[in-house]
Amino acid sequence: MRMSNFGYLVRRGIGSVFKNTMMSIASFSVLLVCLLLIGLSVIVALDINIIMTNIEDRNEIEVFVYDDVTDAVLTHISDAVSSNRNTASVKFYSKDEAWADYQEKMPQFKELYASLPRNPMPYTFRVTVKDIKSISDTAAELQTIEGVEKVTAPYNFASALVDIRSTLSIIAGAMLIVMTVTSVIIIYNSIRSSVFTRKKEINIMKVVGATNSFVKIPFFIEGTFIGIVAGAAAWILTKLTYEAIVRLFEGDITIWQVFGLVNIIQFDSITWYVLAADCLLGAILGAVGTTFSTGKYVKV
Amino acid sequence: MVELKNVDVHYVDGAKGGVDALNDVNIRINDGEFVFIVGDSGAGKSTLLKLLTREIQPTGGRVFVNGYNLLKLKNRKLPYFRRSLGMIFQDFRLIPTLTVYENVAFVLRVIDKSKKYIRQRVPYVLNLVKLNDKAKAYPGQLSGGEQQRVAIARAFACDPKIIIADEPTGNIDPRLSYEIVELLQDINECGTTVIMVTHNHDLVKYFGGRIINLKDGSVAFDGCIEGE
Repeated sequence: MRMSNFGYLVRRGIGSVFKNTMMSIASFSVLLVCLLLIGLSVIVALDINIIMTNIEDRNEIEVFVYDDVTDAVLTHISDAVSSNRNTASVKFYSKDEAWADYQEKMPQFKELYASLPRNPMPYTFRVTVKDIKSISDTAAELQTIEGVEKVTAPYNFASALVDIRSTLSIIAGAMLIVMTVTSVIIIYNSIRSSVFTRKKEINIMKVVGATNSFVKIPFFIEGTFIGIVAGAAAWILTKLTYEAIVRLFEGDITIWQVFGLVNIIQFDSITWYVLAADCLLGAILGAVGTTFSTGKYVKV
Repeated sequence: MVELKNVDVHYVDGAKGGVDALNDVNIRINDGEFVFIVGDSGAGKSTLLKLLTREIQPTGGRVFVNGYNLLKLKNRKLPYFRRSLGMIFQDFRLIPTLTVYENVAFVLRVIDKSKKYIRQRVPYVLNLVKLNDKAKAYPGQLSGGEQQRVAIARAFACDPKIIIADEPTGNIDPRLSYEIVELLQDINECGTTVIMVTHNHDLVKYFGGRIINLKDGSVAFDGCIEGE
């Protein structure tokens, strides 16, 4: 096809966006809402992932050692803990260090500490794990090391975290699929209505010898154009909505600190990726919807 | 050239068991001929045209148009076959959102002609149908006769070997019908084969020439008559 004729088809496609105003607005609105929800779901899912990682990082297995162990046994325990396949980091606390740490964390019992005859804390290893899902197995393995008296781990918290993360992943994935399918179906329907109103025009094209691609290109351009514009609009709305949500939590220092929101995604750092992704996804949804909807009418 | 050999068309209709639209039809139309196809409603005229444009396939026999064996024509070749035909319809079938100029230019774009060719060809064919001054008008702003002249210009723009006109005078003033046929005759004189379907017997008697009369799906008459 000549470039001049291709350019003509592109102009026709974009022109029909403005000629069929109502259809265009309907497709644009649906795509805008879907892209906004998809965009926000993805960013929030990523944020939740970051928050969960922050929370997981604070999960430690505490390995308490018998008081009467020798230095050789302590070295053996240290080596065994460090070499565990799920160990991310190990920190050793001597009895004095463990006691100082305890007092620092629990200052409210300060008077009680003075009345104790001796340091009650054992030698302690604090172990962070690579995979929180295996925390129970890891704790059980550490318990079998010679010289270890007791191992404690936040089993319930860990399993709750794992459950929350899996549930959120499923919800985010399902939302993504539902939104994508909904967009394609609604775009399909609105473009199909647009195609249907121009059935006569398509018939004329076919009668005078237009190839399928000649008939389809303007509709394809129309769908893609609406998709890109909706993508750009969705980008602006995603930015405004996300920043508004972040501002909402920024006011609450407790939530901010507890959940480690300091590390969450700053929109400005991903703004161009979001714009590109929104426009690309919008263009794809528009193009796919158009391709499905024109197929039937193009055959003469 | 158009050639139909022992053509049958049978429409399947569940309730009635089926309808024979054409029965053992044999027609040969040579290049450069002007042929009227006449017949009552249900005689098979529309079916014959649909065969020639390959909107339908025959249930029996063979159809050749412009060197294409329509029975063996693959779907992807269909647009290229149709470019060798110029179609004129009773309801004009102009694109209402395009101007007269654009309607004619449109078919040239379909067949991928250059901008330069389009700029030369469109004014030429509009001049032929005496509509140069209406180039910027939209179909809705024209009379029926003018719209049909645009349709003729559009059909002729691609310089087709055959023009097929389906009741081209059916929707226009009887007085203007003669002008339309005269226009088609002018085009025929340029060497283009013209096949015109009509039920206007006065028109046929006036112009004369080769007449194919279809009756109940068969050729009842195929011959020439003198014009008045």
